[in-house]
Amino acid sequence: MKTNKNTSPAATKTTPGLSGFHRPNMHCGQFAAVILLIGVLQLQVFVPTVLAESSIDGKSGGNRPWSVQVDRVEPGGVVLGPSFGTAIYENLLEDLAKTEQFKQVFRSGDRNANDVPGLLILKTTVQKYTPGSETRRAVTTVGGATKLNVRVRLVTREGQVVQEHVIDGNVRFIGGNLRATHNLAHNVASTLKKSPLPEQTAAHPEKETGNRAK
Amino acid sequence: MTSFQVRHGLAFLTVLLSLSAPSIGQNHSQSQSPVPGSAIHVTQILGFENAKHNATGELTIQGGIMRFQHDGSTVAQVSIGSIQDIFVEEGDKQVGGTAMTLGKAAAPYGGGRVVSLFAHKKYDFLTVEYLDNRGGFHGAIFQLEKGQGETFKKALVANGAHITPPVEQTPNQSTPEVKNENK
Repeated sequence: MKTNKNTSPAATKTTPGLSGFHRPNMHCGQFAAVILLIGVLQLQVFVPTVLAESSIDGKSGGNRPWSVQVDRVEPGGVVLGPSFGTAIYENLLEDLAKTEQFKQVFRSGDRNANDVPGLLILKTTVQKYTPGSETRRAVTTVGGATKLNVRVRLVTREGQVVQEHVIDGNVRFIGGNLRATHNLAHNVASTLKKSPLPEQTAAHPEKETGNRAK
Repeated sequence: MTSFQVRHGLAFLTVLLSLSAPSIGQNHSQSQSPVPGSAIHVTQILGFENAKHNATGELTIQGGIMRFQHDGSTVAQVSIGSIQDIFVEEGDKQVGGTAMTLGKAAAPYGGGRVVSLFAHKKYDFLTVEYLDNRGGFHGAIFQLEKGQGETFKKALVANGAHITPPVEQTPNQSTPEVKNENK
């Protein structure tokens, strides 16, 4: 009997307790769903960047014998807004400097690049451009993507092509249209860093001593 | 679908719409054009040396110099004589930033999409191409209120900025999806 007395209050407490919990749990469920969605969105935005950065870590050469000069973006017959060309150029300069693959990163026309040994010139030509719409992306999710496709070439001063790649940069979900240029520059920098650069002796045998000294 | 969920959904949408209300109805309104020489409020999207991406501030023309100021202090400046070209484009952007984007994504029953349909605003995008003292090419992009771009461009040209006449371009492989929504 004692046990009955002990257990019954517990049982009576448990039953209303569960129903009492049910309604707050419904609120909590919706709140949790919102939190989960925010978390997923953040992962969607940040994880690719982190993965891309971590995948290129430690692959750069230690002495970094080459410097690079970034040429202005050539539209290549594609109707490209001036802001897009400028944004690609500026983002390329920024991302190439971040990778630390090159000893120095020069702007197009920079006179200081004239006397630098081991200079590569990065030429970017737009092959395809699909202007998108941020509003259309936000409303439809599947439409309105901004897409860029460029051909990048690393050439020596003599015009010898050292590397050539065709690279995409898109924005499909979150972000303004210019984010495509940021993604493109990031992809270009990652691709160049993954691809090994030739020894300078092959391209400039006469400058071997000077380059190695630096 | 319970009435409880409907009530909460409607409340969520109301909050989102109230947040985006200032932008609704501004799409077709022309903002006041700046008086030449006075400061205009801009967002420096990228490219202006020493200025952070998406930094807001004032853009002024004074004594042959274009100056970008943030919180009253000069962040970056360039001699107007070194400007090689200036472009003004009209663009359309969603308002509200990241918080609004996340709110719209979290809105139930696709309510965020409805909000997105109205929560956008037209801007002018000013691209200024200039050379630094070593001859290096720079390009800076600013976001201005609609209607201010052309006025500021004229003010820069009046103060000695170079511009090249527009060249007719023939489209090759681009497939335009949406007109006038390049940003």
